[in-house]
Amino acid sequence: MSVVDHNAIELSPRISEADVADYIALLKPRVMSLVIFTALVGLMIAPVHVHPVLAFTAILCIAVGAGASGALNMALEGDIDALMTRTANRPIPRGRVTREEALAFGMTLAFFAVMTLGILVNWIAGGLLAFTIFFYVVIYTMALKRWTAQNIVIGGAAGALPPVVAWAAATGSLSVEPWLLFLIIFFWTPPHFWALALFRSDDYARAGVPMLPVVAGPDATRLQILLYSIVLVAVAAAPWPLGYFDAVYGVTSLVLGAGMLALAVNVYRRREGVEALRATRRLFAFSIFYLFALFATLLLEVVVRALAPTVW
Amino acid sequence: MDDKPKPDGIVLTEAQQKSRRRRSIAIALALGVLVVLFFAVTIVKGPAVLNRPL
Repeated sequence: MSVVDHNAIELSPRISEADVADYIALLKPRVMSLVIFTALVGLMIAPVHVHPVLAFTAILCIAVGAGASGALNMALEGDIDALMTRTANRPIPRGRVTREEALAFGMTLAFFAVMTLGILVNWIAGGLLAFTIFFYVVIYTMALKRWTAQNIVIGGAAGALPPVVAWAAATGSLSVEPWLLFLIIFFWTPPHFWALALFRSDDYARAGVPMLPVVAGPDATRLQILLYSIVLVAVAAAPWPLGYFDAVYGVTSLVLGAGMLALAVNVYRRREGVEALRATRRLFAFSIFYLFALFATLLLEVVVRALAPTVW
Repeated sequence: MDDKPKPDGIVLTEAQQKSRRRRSIAIALALGVLVVLFFAVTIVKGPAVLNRPL
């Protein structure tokens, strides 16, 4: 007699109709593009010559690692995503990809990204990439996100690490400069995400995610946005007087910082109606431009210095 | 009369077959990129590729 009653098992395997586009969506391409850009800056400002093939390998591995983190994050947050307007169209809530498929996809990519970076470039970079993925998936997604309103403050470290990984890939070591880039992204994350959370607080409340506006209210969030923006502007400008980045960067960071502060003050002051919503959206949009422009300045300086060393 | 033998087991729909084919091509391309990457880095590093502390 068979121990398993085969007739009792319903043979209805799920056949996937998921397209390549669904798997690309799991990688969070927009987040990935910001990771690629910040990593590229980390790699380019490193004071060593990196062979283009090795540079491409490093950026590719960091990008794939970021994509893997995105896929694992979606696999673990399918229930939350289904409840939020912003994320309800993701492949898992739409039923295009199962949680298990996303997990397998993310784990495979993470494994290959870390191993390839370690083997082909160096193990400091490989180890840091592994730590970044671990921090984003385990510390942020599994532990902090559903537990504390400080989720994106601490979790922001994962998003801030790519330029550090890239610097390590280029130099095989770590020094102050990549950690300055880390600090800029780290302090940029709270005002950026809390601005988003302010105009999406209904979404977060419905999903039970303890974002700051849901837990502490919009006014407390506005104050936190302002305080973090002040720290951000100071941290972003500090490398200039400290002698790590030059005056072009310093002045740019001050001009951009003035814009960031003005918009944060506006968010703090306008608390009711359409004006408040507009102020929050404006800060959210500008914060993306702020980070991009700040890093683009560093990149541009490197390019100009390489093309016309006598001018600089 | 149709002489074609009836297939056993699960029969994929056309949409399932197409999406599976596209996924297979994507996996093949990704593996191809990986092979080219390892080859290119080996060429770039030259003999130094073997030079790694254990």
